Amino acid sequence: MIEEPYRWVEAIANRREYIETQLAPGSPIAALSFRDGILFVTVGRARQKLFEIYDRIAMGAIGHPGDIERLRMAAIELASTEGFTRSAGDVSLRRLAFYSLSPLLKTAFEQVYGAPYLARMIFAEVGAAPADDLFLRVEYDGAIAAGGSAADAKPPRFSVISGTARATERMEELLRRDHDSNNTLKTALRVALDAWSVGSMTADEESAGGLPSPEALRQRRAEEFKGATIEAGLLERSSTSAIRYRQIDAEELQGLTSA
Amino acid sequence: MTSESLGAAASDFPALLRRHGLLNEAALAAPALANPSAANFTPTQATTILAFKFTGGVLVAGDRRATAGNTVVYDRADKVLEIDRHSIMAIAGVPATAWEMARVLEHSLQYFRRTQLQEMSVDGKVRALSKLLRDNFGFVVQGIGVVVPIFATYDFAGAGQARLYFYDAMGAQFEVAEYAETGSGSPAVRGVLFYENRWGKKPLQKLSEQDAVTVALRALDTAADADTATGGVDRNARIFPIIKIISCDGIKTLPDKQIAARFKSTVA
Repeated sequence: MIEEPYRWVEAIANRREYIETQLAPGSPIAALSFRDGILFVTVGRARQKLFEIYDRIAMGAIGHPGDIERLRMAAIELASTEGFTRSAGDVSLRRLAFYSLSPLLKTAFEQVYGAPYLARMIFAEVGAAPADDLFLRVEYDGAIAAGGSAADAKPPRFSVISGTARATERMEELLRRDHDSNNTLKTALRVALDAWSVGSMTADEESAGGLPSPEALRQRRAEEFKGATIEAGLLERSSTSAIRYRQIDAEELQGLTSA
Repeated sequence: MTSESLGAAASDFPALLRRHGLLNEAALAAPALANPSAANFTPTQATTILAFKFTGGVLVAGDRRATAGNTVVYDRADKVLEIDRHSIMAIAGVPATAWEMARVLEHSLQYFRRTQLQEMSVDGKVRALSKLLRDNFGFVVQGIGVVVPIFATYDFAGAGQARLYFYDAMGAQFEVAEYAETGSGSPAVRGVLFYENRWGKKPLQKLSEQDAVTVALRALDTAADADTATGGVDRNARIFPIIKIISCDGIKTLPDKQIAARFKSTVA
């Protein structure tokens, strides 16, 4: 089937279409800088979608749990061996994503007789100040996008992933409007949840025109939260411990989301 | 690159390092001191450490000296090493091996927590150190890499309690109810701790933090008096022992200032 170049291109296109269909229902994930660190937020039903990778690196992913697991393990293995043989300071998200994960994903994606990774990931690395924070979106085909579009002079300190390109666009649109790196955790969480709601609304309906009103977003959330829970984690900017990632537990979330 | 192995092997950090050729086994097969020049080799040694339970959790203390034979190599050695948020490995023996062992252990526990999305049990942690000691046995036989650690941690299982273990050089672990000590100054320390626990004003487990610090400082001072390899308090250079306390809230390192004040008022 793939002896001819045209067939190979066709096979790749089919595979891309198949993966996009599989990823489409994925619950969006938003990661954004705030004053004291980086906040990851999503809403899920059962399985965990936010993970600690190393001292200052965390990841969120949508896709097939088995594939996410393999990629997560690969990332932790790489970071841990690097951190052990050299030092924790030598572990860098940029190197991890560009030199290790991207080639791995691209190879799997283009070998049409093998199975590709069904996963879309968002990584963040916390720095000393919001300007040093790094966000990377890593696609199933190995493509990597830094937070926001390349056209922006000042890259925004946030990144999102969702099931569809349209939902991602709309989430970014909202974050460009509402996000501020100097927000408190409470405000950052509200903005991140707004972004999630926009993404989740866009996935469900034909959404033309501007962003929905804050009331519409809140109403949407109230409906969604009946059968699901917020999952949130954060990378702390400064801490006495080298390990910066922690999950925000239900009790703390309750306090943060109450008006 | 990806871990295709399943189950326990996938979460074992030393196994991962070996797979990548990053962890060398101490050569068990090598005959002891086969090289004649090795007979003259004197490894650097770290000395006296102690730990005991008191009302505020478990206190771990160590002097700061590292020696090689009769030579003082270093007077600011840190032998009380934090492994995770609630665990400490304190070392007597060869620091080259011990610090590497602590590094492997620290990364092992973190690697387990990150990959398995849960904290390793206390029994698992204790066993992980035991395995590292056994892997090191080749060096022990050759007489150049002996490590005899104390492991202290807080166990959240059940009602929650501090746990304290000492090891022998082969990796056998012994849980203790009250106190543990190892290193060249340990006979003196053992005497002090036994005396305090049996005939002191209060048994060790009932001591307040202040009194616990006093006992630790007095025990180390006694060891320094009897054992040349144990560093006492150097008042001119202001070098004090390292004291850390583990409780359910985590690990607290006592600041030098506080130790100095306590030393001045109750020991010196």
